[in-house]
Order: sequence, then structure tokens, then C-alpha cells
Amino acid sequence: MSTHGVPRVSGEPPKSEQDRAKEARKIREYKSLIDAVQNDDLTNETLTLTSRLLTWNPEYYSIWNVRRRIVCHLLKEMTTSTQAEGPSTYRSDTSTEALSDLISNDLKFQLPLLRKFPKCYWIWNYRLWLLEGPSGTLPKTNQQRLWEQELSLAGKMLSLDSRNFNGWGYRRKVIAALERLSNGSDDHEQWLTESEFEYTTKMINTNLSNFSAWHNRSVLIPRLLNERRADRQARKKMLEEELELLQRALWAGDNDSSLWFYHQNLMCTFDPQYAARSMAPDLSHHERQTYVKAEIEKVHEMLEGAEDCKWIYQSLIQLNMLHKNLSGDTCHAIGQIIQWVETLNKIDPLRSGRWNDLLQKLRPQ
Amino acid sequence: MSLVSGPGRGGQFQGQLPNELNLVIEKHVEYIQDLGTRQDELEYWLTEHLRLNGVYWGLTALHLLGRPDGLPRDATIDFVLSCQHENGGFGAAPGHDPHMLYTVSAIQILATVHALDALEADGRGGKEKVVQYIAGLQSHSTGSFAGDEWGEYDTRFLYGAFNALSLLRSLHAVDVAKAVSHIEACANFDGGYGISPGAESHSGQIFTCVGALAIAGRLDLVDKDRLGAWLSERQLSDGGLNGRPEKLEDVCYSWWVLSSLSMINRLHWIDGEKLTKFILNCQDQEKGGIADRPGDAVDVFHTHFGIAGLSLLGFPGLKPIDAV
Ligand SMILES: [Zn+2]
Repeated sequence: MSTHGVPRVSGEPPKSEQDRAKEARKIREYKSLIDAVQNDDLTNETLTLTSRLLTWNPEYYSIWNVRRRIVCHLLKEMTTSTQAEGPSTYRSDTSTEALSDLISNDLKFQLPLLRKFPKCYWIWNYRLWLLEGPSGTLPKTNQQRLWEQELSLAGKMLSLDSRNFNGWGYRRKVIAALERLSNGSDDHEQWLTESEFEYTTKMINTNLSNFSAWHNRSVLIPRLLNERRADRQARKKMLEEELELLQRALWAGDNDSSLWFYHQNLMCTFDPQYAARSMAPDLSHHERQTYVKAEIEKVHEMLEGAEDCKWIYQSLIQLNMLHKNLSGDTCHAIGQIIQWVETLNKIDPLRSGRWNDLLQKLRPQ
Repeated sequence: MSLVSGPGRGGQFQGQLPNELNLVIEKHVEYIQDLGTRQDELEYWLTEHLRLNGVYWGLTALHLLGRPDGLPRDATIDFVLSCQHENGGFGAAPGHDPHMLYTVSAIQILATVHALDALEADGRGGKEKVVQYIAGLQSHSTGSFAGDEWGEYDTRFLYGAFNALSLLRSLHAVDVAKAVSHIEACANFDGGYGISPGAESHSGQIFTCVGALAIAGRLDLVDKDRLGAWLSERQLSDGGLNGRPEKLEDVCYSWWVLSSLSMINRLHWIDGEKLTKFILNCQDQEKGGIADRPGDAVDVFHTHFGIAGLSLLGFPGLKPIDAV
């Protein structure tokens, strides 16, 4: 969409006559390719031309639309030619094969583009459209095979860039499609939440500082517990396992903001304002208080030797405020909280406006 | 009347920053004006799909720089109108397909140069036609908006729709309540918003969701302290802001974070002076234009967001900008 991370070329020498002529030739070539594509012939030949043009410039969204119109047209042709052969509601084998080829060739064509331009929205959108639209008329097993390939593609993209926004979004859509396909007809429901949950564990083990993986985890866990029909005990067990996993991670990297955001996320379980959407919505008031107290102690322990780690203070402040709300004890630790905020004001001056606002709120009028 | 959106030609960058940092206003004005004259460059043609956005970015930057007449008004209006399709939507350039993103840019440009009546010209169907195009892209089931007839949904398009419709004073043409509940479904525990329900918080998406809520008059739904905290953590030690935790700082994200903070009245939760320095360091002092990061190639996109950010920070000599 725009220039990112391209170094500024300083003191570029003026272009030679030859370079200018070469550039002019390229421009002519590019423009004549565009003219050739926009010829209104919805044929295989035009499809090939769009491939050439999109390889040159995958951001040219209107050309992806030309491609869509051609695919729709070819699809319609295949259907009508099949119907001419006999009255059948199913595709003949030949028509299925032709359509299958069309789609898998198209998917293959995009692969090098995705590798080269992993952040180009238009390629991902076109790919999804192809899979959700035209491929939807294929037999179920073919569709399933296509989507499974996509799952491994998403995996590959994320192993190259574990924070790729499009990659994670695409992965969620692929999973939803696979679940839709397997839950369409029979009443035996099959979900992929468990394996996706394991996938986030794998990603976190490779690199703790992967906020995308932690985030996905926070979305998957409540679903997972519902699918497992988890009772109170099972939910508490999951919660404790997560707290422990995160605690270990925090000891390894106390300056990693991804981990502290996941910590904040887990603490929502104990906050009446957020608990309803958490993995353990039914904890008793007393249980919440006990968990928060234990968490305060654990985080407090981390402070030793890490007195310059702003995240620890921020967490202590949030936890103590939560504890104060839960216990209804208005003067609980307020002096200590103010001290922590003052420390933050010193070690985190970028955000002093935020700390001053907080101080004003905490100090008795 | 069309500006190139690709990387700029670079001036000297010594790898060292000048002690006295100034906003090189005249250089930026020239840089933007020069963008339309680069038709002998392949890049000009390769970025045609951004032309209408480019005009909007350049025009807004010029307005903020105090040069509202920096681009020829009539030619600008003619170019915008030449991008309109039968169905009321606008493409990125003549011959490019209609899409929400460019329709919004078109309306924003016309509103900026006070020329929304140009839509009423013979046979165009007036603003009503544009309103219908936008309203037709709302999903009845989720309240979200698609980018075009091919049906990709993204909170960016929802914000775009709200923005254009409010400029056209036609917000009533869509189901605002349903769209608002879609935004609520995109909210995360960290106070931020993702591209769709369940997606990770992202500064760009936060800007679109908070912006849409601001237009709808529903900022009461925002978890302001929590979101403000998350947004303020985007500032890194060099003053620049990133888009998500553990990512690199960037001028465009700086704008999205900054304007979101402004909409929830927490602009002072980051260090404005340091951010100002960061943006000024991203300028090409010699040839004009602003880059994503110091030393990188400039483009009109980052030039616009850099100047918009400086304006929101109250930089002297710039016209004030509306955060939404
Ligand atoms: Zn950027």
C-alpha cells in the first residue's frame, strides 16, 4: 500500500539517456499489457495475460477483478456444457476435473506472489474468494483437500513471519471453513480448536515474544472449554495451567510486553467487569480474591533484582487496584500504590501524562 | 491531476541527524506538487491503483501546510469525477473498479475543496447515488461493510462508510446500531479492536473502530483507560510509535495511535515532544517528503500522516486537523 523499509537513496546520479529510454519502453510494455487485459474477452488467454500483469503488479486490484469475472465465466461454461450432456444435478467427472484444474492452477499461480508480497491484501482476498466461491461447487472431499492445503500454507507463512497479520487472519478463516465443511451434514460435530490450541503452544515455545500467538490462545481457550463441556474444576485447572505457563515465561523475559499483555488478559478472569467473557466466568468472589492475592505475591517476588522493570510496577498497580475493588477495602495499600506510580513516573517518563492522571485519581482530594 | 504514490527520489541522508530540526514546509509543498509531473517514471504507472488516495493525502497535507491552493482546484474536481462509475462508486483512477476505499477518498477530496455539489452535475445521480452505493455494501446480518461487490469485510470499510456518509449528511441511510454492535464484537480485553471478531488488536483497526464510534456518537462504549494504556505503550524510546506490541515504530502508525488517543482525550499519555522529533527526523530535508522511519524513502502516504500527526500535536505553523 505504501513504502515501508525502503532505504532512501542519496545523491542518485541523473538518469542517462539510455536509462530513460529503457524506462519509457517498460512503461509502454506495461500499458499495452493493461490494454490487452481489458479486452472484455473472458477467455483462458486473457486469464494468462492477467497472470503476467499481476506478477508485475499484484496491487492492481481491478485486474484481480478481471480474473474473477473470467473464472466465473469459465465456470458457467463448464456447467452449461455438462448440462448439455444429460440431465443431472451433479457435475460430471470431466467437468469436476476441469474446474478442479482451473482452481488448483490458479492457487498455484499465486504462491510465488504471496511469498514475494506477503502483506498484499488483494492476493489474500482473491485467494479466499476463489476458495469460498467457485471451489464451493466442487465435491466436498475436493474442497476439504484444498482447504487442508491452505492450512499448511498458513503454517508456512507464519513460520516465515510469526507475526504476519494476514497470516493469522487467514489461518482463522481456513479453520472456520474446514469446520464448516465437516459439520455441514451429519450431527457428529468436529472442531479444530484443540489442534489450533496446540499450534499456539508450539508457536509460543519457539518464541515467547509472540503476542499474536498469545492473543489467539486467549480467544481459543473459552471455545475449547465449551467444546469440552468443561465444568468448574476443569476450568480452574486450565486457568492454573495458563498462569503457570505464563509465570515461567515472565521469569524468562520480564521486559517482554507481549507477556504482560497476556497477563493482563488472564487477570480479567478475576475482574467482575470482564469475567463473563473469560475462561472461568463462574468463580466465586472469594476465589477471585484468593487468586489475585497469590498473583500479587508472585509478581512482587519478580521485583527483586528487576527494580527498573516498568511492567512489574504496572502489573502490581493493576492487581492491587483489583484487589481493592474486590475486597471493598478503600484504604488498602493505597500508599504503596502511589509509591509505585511515582516510581513509574521516574522510570517511564514517556508516559508521565498517564501516571500523573493516575496519581490525581489515587490521591485523596 | 494525479500524484504518484510510490517511493520518492531521495535527497542526502548523512546517517546523522541535524541538530536544529525544522519542518521544511516549502520543500514538502514542492515535493507534493511535483508528484503529478512524474509520468516518465515506471513507478508512477505502477501506483495508479492508489491515485485517488494519493490526491487525498497530498491535498490534505497541503491544506495543513497552509497551502489550500497548492493543487489546481478545477483539475482536482475533474479528476475525482472521472473516477466515478455508473453505480455511484469511485475507482482509484479512470478505468479502475469502484471500491469503498476510493469512494471515501473521493468524497473526502470533494468535501475538502467544498465541491460536493459537483456530484449533482448532469446524469451523475447526485450524492444520493453515492450514498446508495455505500449503503449497498453493508451486510444485513453483521452490520459490517464490504470493500466492493466481491465481498471482503474489514472494519476499515465500516469506518470509511461512516466517514463518507457523515460528510454527505446521510448516516441515516445505513443501520448504524448494527454496525456499532459489530465494532463491539471486535473489542479485545486489552481495550483495542481487531479487523474482525477474535482478531488481535492493531493500531490501524483501533483508529477505524474508534473513529466510527466517534462519528456514531458512541465513544461511551470504549474502555478508555485500558485502550489509552495500550496505545500509550506503542511509544518507543526514540519517540516513534508502533502498531502492535514488539513491532517497529513508523510514521503512519504514529498517526493512527495519536488520533485514537486524541479521540478518547488521552493525547497527553505519550510524549508529544519526542514524537514530534521522530517525525521531523523522518523528513527528507533536502527534497521534501516524509518516510516511515528516519533514512527511508519518502512517499505521499507517510508525508500526509507525518504532517497530520504534527498538526494534531499542535506544531506551530500548521493548520489544526480533526482527529476523526
Ligand atoms: Zn508506515
